[in-house]
Amino acid sequence: MLEVAPIWQPHIQQQNYRLLLEAMSRPGSLHSITGLNTSSNSLLAVLAALLDSSVRFCDSNGLLEASDIALLQAMQTVPEEADYLLCSGIDVPDFQPRLGSLVSPEQSATLLVHVSALEAGDLQLGLTGPGIKEKQVCNIQGLDSDWLVKRESWVCGFPLGVDLILLDQQQLMALPRTTRVEVH
Amino acid sequence: MNEMTREEWVSALTSLPEERLTELVKGFPADWKVQPITLPQVGLGMMKMKESAFNESFYLGEFPLASCAVTVTTESGVSAEGGALVVDDRMERAEQLALCDAVLAGRLPGWQKVEALLHEGSARREQISLERKAMLARTKVDFSLLEDVGGEDA
Repeated sequence: MLEVAPIWQPHIQQQNYRLLLEAMSRPGSLHSITGLNTSSNSLLAVLAALLDSSVRFCDSNGLLEASDIALLQAMQTVPEEADYLLCSGIDVPDFQPRLGSLVSPEQSATLLVHVSALEAGDLQLGLTGPGIKEKQVCNIQGLDSDWLVKRESWVCGFPLGVDLILLDQQQLMALPRTTRVEVH
Repeated sequence: MNEMTREEWVSALTSLPEERLTELVKGFPADWKVQPITLPQVGLGMMKMKESAFNESFYLGEFPLASCAVTVTTESGVSAEGGALVVDDRMERAEQLALCDAVLAGRLPGWQKVEALLHEGSARREQISLERKAMLARTKVDFSLLEDVGGEDA
């Protein structure tokens, strides 16, 4: 009688977590999110795999319903203190996320950025760095180019920085802090 | 409706044989929309206590714990929220109790059946409580008798 969407099932969450690991290992590669149906979107599916009650979360552009946020169980906070941030690609961030410290660079924020499309778009990026053989080119729709300017200012002091996960309706792509991005 | 507080409902309903609750829940209309408010979970709780000598905390042990909170919407659009936190290792049990909690709290169709079961469970719980008190009473030692018997030190 109780309807729980597939994205909340442990085996689907494990599959999506595995996708995230693969995406982080191969920056710029596209991965189809598992367990999506009419009642659940890609943002929620990825957040369901990442969040629990021990982390702090901020939906900085109000992309989720309040009822969905309750299911994620994460503590809600301001963008500057969040472990995970959900943002819109068309809104340039006006906050400073956590960048970690030299002793604990892992205590930085992971930003999930919602874009219109990851396979085709007017913003063409050239990616190089660890996990990429020579160069990876990708086209994105719905990501303001100022996002990349902000990202550069956050990741320039490696190992400090943030990791980005870009999501459209079906797929995800990761831009870890080690990836160098050129706008073509 | 009844003298019991809402916090006591789960306790009363779990006093009855499980089949009674299962049958009742099966009788609710299948076209009701039941959605989670928080994800149903099953796990272990830790029982924290304080020892009497130094008043320090310690964990007595673990116990199974299932929780569920739902919103029930009937075919006519009326909705109610319910929840349950029960010492059990089955999610279905928590779901059934949360559903009954919502039906009774929101007076959804069939709430009278839940209330009847609640009264039955309350009576059963009272009976169990009396039986336990009687068992405990049999173990009571009356030390005053020692004085009556007397002795060299009396």
